[in-house]
Parts: sequence; C-alpha cells; structure tokens
Amino acid sequence: MNVRIGWRLGSFAVGAVFIATWQVLANAHLISPVYLPGPDRTWGALVRGFASGTFPDQLWNTVQRMLVGWLLASLAGIVIGACIGLSRPARAYLGPTLEFLRPLPASAVVPLGIVLFGLSDNMVLSVIAFGALWPTLLATVHGFAAVEPCLYEVSRALGMSRLAVIWKIALPSSLPDILAGMRLSLTVSLILAVVGEMLASRPGLGSGILIAARTFHAPDLYAGVVLLGVLGYLTAQGLFAVEARLLRWRLHQR
Amino acid sequence: MKRAAAVLRGAVFPLALIAIAQIAAMAVRLQSDTLASPAAVLAAGAGAFADGSILIATAQTLGNAFGGLALGGSAGLICGVLLGSSIVADRLMEFSVESLRPIPSVALIPVSMLTFGFGFRMEIAIVAFAAFWPVLILTRSAVSGVDAGLLDVARVLRLGPLARTVKIILPAALPRIFVAFRLAAGIALTVAVTVEVSTNPLGLGYNMMLAEQSLHPDLMLAYLLWIGIVGWALNFTINAAQRRFFGRSVQVRPVA
Amino acid sequence: MVPQTQPLITFDRVSMTLGGTPVLTDIDLRIDAGDFVCVVGPSGCGKTTLLRLLGGLLEPTAGEVRYAGKRITEPRADIAVMFQDYGRALLPWRTVSGNVSLALEALGVPKDVRPERIAAVLATVGLSDKADRFPIELSGGMQQRLQIARCLAQRPQVLLMDEPFGALDAMTRQTLQDEVLSIVAASGATVFFVTHDLEEAVYLGNRVIGLLPHPGRIASDVNVALSRPRNQLMTREDPEFARLRRHLFDFIKDADA
Repeated sequence: MNVRIGWRLGSFAVGAVFIATWQVLANAHLISPVYLPGPDRTWGALVRGFASGTFPDQLWNTVQRMLVGWLLASLAGIVIGACIGLSRPARAYLGPTLEFLRPLPASAVVPLGIVLFGLSDNMVLSVIAFGALWPTLLATVHGFAAVEPCLYEVSRALGMSRLAVIWKIALPSSLPDILAGMRLSLTVSLILAVVGEMLASRPGLGSGILIAARTFHAPDLYAGVVLLGVLGYLTAQGLFAVEARLLRWRLHQR
Repeated sequence: MKRAAAVLRGAVFPLALIAIAQIAAMAVRLQSDTLASPAAVLAAGAGAFADGSILIATAQTLGNAFGGLALGGSAGLICGVLLGSSIVADRLMEFSVESLRPIPSVALIPVSMLTFGFGFRMEIAIVAFAAFWPVLILTRSAVSGVDAGLLDVARVLRLGPLARTVKIILPAALPRIFVAFRLAAGIALTVAVTVEVSTNPLGLGYNMMLAEQSLHPDLMLAYLLWIGIVGWALNFTINAAQRRFFGRSVQVRPVA
Repeated sequence: MVPQTQPLITFDRVSMTLGGTPVLTDIDLRIDAGDFVCVVGPSGCGKTTLLRLLGGLLEPTAGEVRYAGKRITEPRADIAVMFQDYGRALLPWRTVSGNVSLALEALGVPKDVRPERIAAVLATVGLSDKADRFPIELSGGMQQRLQIARCLAQRPQVLLMDEPFGALDAMTRQTLQDEVLSIVAASGATVFFVTHDLEEAVYLGNRVIGLLPHPGRIASDVNVALSRPRNQLMTREDPEFARLRRHLFDFIKDADA
C-alpha cells in the first residue's frame, strides 16, 4: 500500500517536472508568449474564467450537449443493435452496410447536418447523436450476436420464453460489449460537441477556445484546453466506475 | 458460392435504399439546395473525378493522415516500448500520461492553428497527437505482455537491452503492435477529416464544406460517399494485410 | 401401489438424421422409473444425440420418444438437462444463488418461495457458503455442482447428464460420482448418464447401454447387479465389477475393429 502511494507521488513529481519545464520554456520566450503562455498565465486564465462565470457557462453548455446526445444515441443504438444482433437474417442483410459505415469519420456528416438543420443547436445535437450512435450500435450487434450458444440451449431446456431469454440471457451477456461501445460513443460525443460548437458558433467550450485562438488570447485558449482535458478525464472515469460496478462478475486482468 | 450469396444479400439493403431515393427524387422533381438524387450525386462525383479536384483533395487528406500517423505512431511506438519494458518508467509516467491522454484532439485545433496557421503542418500535428495515444497504450501492453519465457531466453543469452528489444520483444509484440497501428490509421483519417471540416482549408473535408456552402448538395453528398469509400478501403486493405502477415492469430474486434 | 408395468421412457424405433448424415438408426429402448442408465460408446455413436432427443432439444426424424406414455416434442419441466461444458452452461454474471434461481424463475416459482428452495438445493450439493460468489470464482468441480444444483431446483423426475465429469480431475470426479449417487438415491430420480469412461458407467449405473456408430445403434445392454450403496474401493474390487468392465472393454475394442 505504501509502495503504491510512493509510486503515485513519484509520478506526480515527474508531472511537476514537466510543468516546470513548460514554465521555463515559456519564461525564456523562445516561442513568443503570444503563442505559448506558461502554466502561470494559463492558471490565471483558468481562475479568471471561473470567477467571471464564463467557464461554468461554457462547460455546462458543452456537457449538456454531449450527455444528451450521447444518451439518446446510446439508447437508440442498444435497441436497434439488439434487434439486428438477435436476428440472423437482419445481420446477413444489414451487416455489410454497417461494416461500411463503421470506418466513416463521424465529422463527415457535419455538412449534411448543416444542410438539414442550419447552424443551430439542433444541428450540433443531431450530429452528436448520429456520430455517437454507431459505436454503441455496432458493439451491441456484436454482443447480441456473440451470446454463448450453450446458454440458448440451457434456456430451451428450461422452457424460457423469448422475452425472458432476451432479458435474462442475451442482454446481460452483451453488457460488456455494450458498455465498451458506449465508452467509445462518449468520446465521439465530446469530439463532435466541440466541433459542432466551433462550426455553428454555439456557446460552449469549443467555440470558446476557437474565439480565444482567433483573438490571440493564448492563456484563455490553453485554459479551455485544460478544461476539456479534465472533462474528458472525468467522463471516462465516471463510465469506468459504472462499468466496474455492473461488470464486477468479471475478474479484471491488466 | 457462399461468399457470392453473402455479398449479394448484403447489397440488397443499400441498393434498395438508393433505388427508393432515386425514384422519390424523380417523382418529386427534386430541385433543392439541401438534397440531391442519387443520380445527381453520382454525376457530381464523376465530374469531380474528371477535373481532378477529388483526387487532389484525397491526396491531401491521406497525405496529412499518413504524415501524422507516421509521426505520432513512431513516437508512440518508442514510448510504448519504453513504458512497456520498464515498470519504473511506466509508474513514474502514469500521471503525465493519464493527464494528457483525455484531451480531445479537436481541442488542440485552435492551439495548432495559433502556432502553425493553416496548412499541412497544423493538420499533421493534430493527427500526430491523436495517433500517438492508441499506439502508446497498445504497444505498452503488447510489450509488457511478451511471454516471460522469451524474456528468460534473452537473459540466458545475455542480450543487451537494444538487442533484446530488437530481436525478441518487437517480433513477439508485432501482431498486437500492428493492431495498434490499424486502429491509429482509422483515427488518423477521422481526425484529418475533422480538422478539415472545422477549420483547415484543404482536403476532402474542406471540399465537402465548400460544396455545402455553395449550395451544391450533390457534390457534398458525393464527397461524403467518397470519404466513406476511402475509409472503408483503408480499413479493408489493412485488414487484408493483417490476415496476410499474421493470419488468424490476431482477431481483435475493433469495438473497444 | 399399482405396479409400474409401463416404462417411464420409451424410444420407439427412433432414427435421427442430422445434416444429411444418419446419426441414429432404429433405436428401441425402454427405461423404467428409478433406473440409472449409463450410455457408453466410441465418438460419433450418437450418445449425446440420444440424450438430446430425450431432453426434447431434438425431434426424431423417425419414430417416437415417449415419456409417461406421451410423445416428447419439447423440453419438459420434469426432465432436467445437465450440459457437458459447465463453463459455458452457467451464467457468469449471476451469483451461485442467481444461477439456481434461473431454473425457478423459468418454472414460475413465486418469488417468496425461491430463497428457501435455493438454500435447500445448495445445501444438498455443498455450495451453501458460496451462495454469493460468481461462477468464475469457483473451481471446475464446484461449477459442475452448481449445474447439478440448478437441475435439482427443477425437482426433476429424470436427470439427463452429458459427460458431466469428463473435464474434471480424478479425485473431484470420484467425489462427485458419490455425491450424485446419494442425491439420486434420496430423490428417486431416473438418470440417463452419458459417459466415455467405462468404469464410471459400471460404477454408477444399474444398467449400461453400449452404442456403436455408423450407423448409431444399440449394440449392448447389460444389467449391473452390483450392490448399493456403491463404494469407490469395495465396489471396484468386486469380481462382478471386473467382469462387466471386461465385457465393455471388449465391446469397445470390437467397435474399433
């Protein structure tokens, strides 16, 4: 236990060294302070942004978009994915189309979104939902298609109804895949929220940092980036915690 | 015979969709700023091929994607080998890695824009950042997962660290490192297109935005379709290469 | 009590073709209530198919399988099936209790009655202290006991067991053999036990049926007149045990010829 804390502190120390190096580089003015603010100015901008209420507002907007889009997409992805995954004909007919759509960059539908919804909040939300749909949907299809066949036999031997089989066997069996897909969908949601905000100029962290860059307010820009990193970290950790709770029947290996 | 049947079955759905869209467009005599019939999309696409614009854009996007992949991937590979080989290094770097990793690559678009302006360097920088992490994480786990028996062999033969890395660790970890690059390649293409869609005025993403802004939905959809094809072709080629070189020993579902 | 003249289970000229290949031909078999029937034979002889027909998981291509006079067309609640690969037949996301509960849920047993039935069945198989563990935390032998527990929860008249101890080490196997014998003696269930282990077949059963492949048919049907309760040391040293074992050995050897 003490050893672990020791290593933790060690890694914080290494991190602190990196930050100190950053400060030294910034102070040396090797790169103009217009482009590279030091950690001190970044911190200052962070504090100012929170004190003035700018960052909380932007954070709230971005988080709201991201989560709403993600939840809608996940729900749709699970339902549609379950239907497709449980039906062999559906998999045969729709599979290739899904495989074609899998490598499609989610941001490629942004122009289509603009065409359909204009530069609005709806556009950003729809693009987020559409982009976040696919990882969860594909993972769900895989999960439902890969249920251990022996368990289906067990359910037949026990005379379980179709609904009971889906709810008690297929769904829990697919849960690890579904959660992995949802994790990916969350990452996509964050990315598309930022991109959408930048393009549609909707208030949020994305548009915030873009404006900061355009007006050469580098400390605000870097502060915003740090905030986005923190947001990414917290959401990922949150999902990991949920996953660990729901999947504690698996023994985790590194 | 079975393969052919499977392909045909898979084609039914998309072909049916396209046919319905075409018939609907013709029935309604579609003349709009927002939608286009499949025939118009194909025509616009053909036109863009004819005048070379789509090919130039593809070269730009792929060039940026591969440039970033090469840069970020090689850095990720080296760091991954280091962190995978040395528990000390891995533990000490934990905080730094876990702090920088969650930063979404798109958040760095304004930073890169500020530093490099518009153009190739800006995009390659962001792609490199995005490609670095999956390669780092997966290489690290591939290297640390090398069979302990092989490492014992290295010790018994008294191989120095460089020889051990090159002759034992890298070959043993190669299949999984390949998977890492496969994943990173997809990410590289996606990030490149994202950068072009949001800010950078070159490549497929930009051309698509341009078509949308100039009210050419047929051209825009043609670009969208082409991006899908390029993404699919890239994935397909890498999968084929993986099967060719590594056989069925590396069937990793690209889900997580 | 009316004497049981009618057999509990009847295979009436049953044939089974799977994927174009004839697996079983013209099987005629009668099993009485309380029988412990062991089925042996080389691979491909159709013994698992026979079990699955009895379990209602397959329908015969020709002939009828009857239980208590009625044709078996689908799985029955009073015929419990124990699958060979226990690792894949258990729900990894449910605890030991949860896995047993699955059978009760499927039978429609009311919620308030379930806990005591689960506890009783776990006590029978000796897994009471593992009630809240997950299958992955259990050894192979314990997982197989869990499957037995799930089957027992159905309060079955017939137990179908498909090579249940094949993947276990010798010591665990012997322990479980005796446990099964005592469980069956206490419940009076009829057992249909498929195994490739000839000694196990003689040790456990009161009847051993030998199948031969190509086509799958019953080629031997012997009574095992050894006394019960069986004992790992004493029974195996009984000369009758050796005689039966030799008989089956020769039977299998002839099959290879």
